[in-house]
Order: sequence, then structure tokens, then C-alpha cells
Amino acid sequence: MKDIFIDIDYSQIYKFGQKIGGDVFLQKRNPERNQIVAVLSDGLGSGVKANVLASLTANMAKKLSFSPMDLKHSANIIMDTLPVCKERKISYSTFSIADIRYNALNSNIRVNFLEYDNPHALFFRDSTNIDWEGDVTILDREKAFKKEEIVHNVFNLRVGDRIIIISDGVTQAGLGASRSLGWRLNGVKQYISDILKDSPSISSRALTKQIVNKALSLDGLASKDDITCCCIYIRKPRRTLIVTGPPFLKESDDLLCQKIKDFKGKKIISGGTTALIVSKHLNKKIKVDLSTWSKDVPPSSTMDGMDLVTEGMLTLSKVVYTLEKKIPLVELANDAVKKYIELILDSDQVHFLVGTKINEAHQDPSIPVEIGIRRTLIERLRKTLEENYLKETSIEYI
Amino acid sequence: MDKKVKIKICVGTSCFVQGGSDLLLYNDFIDPEIIEKCDIEGISCFNACKGHENGSAPFVMINDKIYGDMTPEKLNKIVIEVYHARNK
Repeated sequence: MKDIFIDIDYSQIYKFGQKIGGDVFLQKRNPERNQIVAVLSDGLGSGVKANVLASLTANMAKKLSFSPMDLKHSANIIMDTLPVCKERKISYSTFSIADIRYNALNSNIRVNFLEYDNPHALFFRDSTNIDWEGDVTILDREKAFKKEEIVHNVFNLRVGDRIIIISDGVTQAGLGASRSLGWRLNGVKQYISDILKDSPSISSRALTKQIVNKALSLDGLASKDDITCCCIYIRKPRRTLIVTGPPFLKESDDLLCQKIKDFKGKKIISGGTTALIVSKHLNKKIKVDLSTWSKDVPPSSTMDGMDLVTEGMLTLSKVVYTLEKKIPLVELANDAVKKYIELILDSDQVHFLVGTKINEAHQDPSIPVEIGIRRTLIERLRKTLEENYLKETSIEYI
Repeated sequence: MDKKVKIKICVGTSCFVQGGSDLLLYNDFIDPEIIEKCDIEGISCFNACKGHENGSAPFVMINDKIYGDMTPEKLNKIVIEVYHARNK
């Protein structure tokens, strides 16, 4: 597995009272071409109309970044395509595009960055803010109603670097209320520097969440505009091992336990029988925690050296279902599934160690619910982790 | 001194889906006074489901003896019996 991870995530709060946002963030990974594109667009106005404009912009930007066309030409096409607002008679939406390319081992990360009218993106090396100025290009479009300046820059990133892209909802937070001129870029910069000094390895998810929550509080908890913040962070990967199912051959039990012992990172054991094998071989006691269970998820357990021990198929099925449906963590009951998902979402690389022995007890036709086939479930889990959550996964059968 | 009754409820997949989840609500059907005199814990699986000598799932182990086809009523009854037999 790769030794460097590109952690991209965002947080967003819609304008108070809106059910849909005018800021749209999109990202797409294309592992075959070693490319990731992240786009943030802010459409004119708010609500549905703005969302249409921003989605259109972000989608075009994403598609065009994967084409061999140069970014300036792409920007021209985007702006020529946007529909004209009926009231304001202009067509407008802002965008920031980060076109990230890396080589096979994730070293030499090069970001082709383009921004139009969004607040200037922030660049942090470790916890220090570094000011940057890009080349400014003027578009000279026929239909332009104002001077259209596009800022372009190339960043060569290394471990510890962050690019933080924000929408104007962040810089203008508190405008006319808690801050006469809003939070402003300098305020945001200072706030992020302070966070990074305290927790230098904060994940993109946690960092962006803190920033949007701060902006929301400056707005008096009723956001005046869509507040969006995304972060591209280069770091060492966090790894999680998921062990599920007993090995096909009993003789491989030792091997399984050795692999678990040798793994560096978080460890989850998914399956009662598997947990028993590990417990026996490593001589560690399993303690079932009867306080965390729900109607369809059996209680989780603790074992010294493991981060989580759960029952197998029911818990896994629910984990897969929850991740596929993208159900937010706050809506989950405090059970094994929630702990499971928290652990997975906090890691970048998930390695599956799958035992292939069939559980005789599950072949009983009187079992009332459908217990999925382990391999199918794991394949679904891998798929959703890769596609919906952009995690890297690998699998090993034993 | 009273001897505590050791109860282990299996929370493995097979037991959990066939009624084991109801047994975890033991606070609702066992007398609180009796519960105080029991050590109740969950266990990930004791492989009772692989054979049929003890009946079928869900299984509960009470003082090292495995009972199958467990229901809340049956569990309550057995726990009371075992408790009184021990503390005669």
C-alpha cells in the first residue's frame, strides 16, 4: 500500500432555512491515471437556482479537468455555458478547481490550482500559513459583464501540507453582526493556524467541520449564506485491519493471529468465532459489553490489543447498509455499528483479512433473516468505501 | 453468603437472530432482586450451535450448563429455580 495519503474532505452548512445549497463541492478520484479532481463552486443567489448553477459548474469543471484540454479553455467553456439569471440578467458562479496529480507511490504530488472569484485559497505547510500569489489571466470573453480574472498556480505538495478552499459564506460570516466586516480571510487564517498548532495532524473532516461550525456561530447560529469549506491534506495514512471469518484450514489459525499481531494500525475483529480463535491463540480475554446493542445489532466486545470486537454477519450487514445509504453518524444508535463506522471513516486505508471457512451454524434453514455470504458483503463494503468514501482498500483471503 | 448465579447469554449471530436479542432485555422479565444475585454477561459464541445435543439457538449458559431454545419466560423460570436450589 501507498505510504502517503491524500485526505480530501469538506463540511457544509446551508443558508438558514434552505434545504438545498448554492455551494457545491465535488471530488473524483481516477486511480488509473493517478489523478484527483476537487471542485468547489458557488452559484449566484441561494437555494435551488444557485444549486443548479453551482452543480453545473462543478460538474463541468470536474469533467473538463479529466480531459486533456488546458484549464483556461475549460474555464471559458464553463462560463459560456452557464444560464442567465432572469432577475439579474447575468450568468455567474464562482469556482476553485484543484487538479491533483501524483506518481504511482503518491510522492511528487502536484496540484494545478485554478480559482475564479472564490475567497483566495489558503496554503498551510504544517501549521504555518504560506502566502501565495498565482498568475492572473484575464479571460476577455465576449459575453463578460465584468472583468474576469482567473488565478492559476501550481503547488508541489509534501507530507504535512494543506490547501483549504472556502466559500464566501465563511469569510463573510458574522457580517454586520458579531464582526462588522465579517470574519474575513485573515480571521479564518488565524483561526486555522491556531487549530493546527494545537492539533497538527487533524483530519480534513474534523478541521473543515470546526471551521464551518465557527462560521455558523459567528453568524449567530443562523447562517446568512451557504458555508462551505474543503481541505486537501497530505499525510501518512491511517490504517485499519478488519479480520472476519475463521481461516479455511485450522492450521492457518496461527498465521491469522500472527498477521493481526504484526499489523500496525487499528484492528477490528468481526465475528464471534474469529474472536474466539484470536482470544485462544493470543491468550486474551473477550469481554462482551452488554450496554451497547440494538434490536438488530448484537453487543460489541473488548479485547486487549484490539480496537473493536463485534459479532460478524449482522453487524457487517448493517455497517454496509449504513455506509451505502450514507446515513449520518448522529442518526445511529450507540451500538457496535456506530463504533465500527467511526473507526473505518477515521482511517485512509482498510485492509481486509477474510477467513473463508463456512459457518455451519448459518446453514440452518430455520434462521429467520437472510445472512449474507461473507465475501459478497465484504465486496460491497470495499466498493462503497472506495466509491463513496474514497478509502483505499485491499483484501487477503486466508 | 448467597452464591451468585452465573449466566452467560450467547450474542453470536445465530443466537441473536433467533431470539437471543430478547434475552438481553433481562431487566424487563427477571425480578430485580434476583438479578442482583446473578452475574450476567454476554459471550461471543460457545459453539453450541454446531451440534444439536443442547437443542437449538438461542443458547444460554447457567452455571456451566448449556440450555437451548431459550425464551425470556424459560430463562426467568430456570434462573429462579437455580437460585433457590443453590441457596436452600
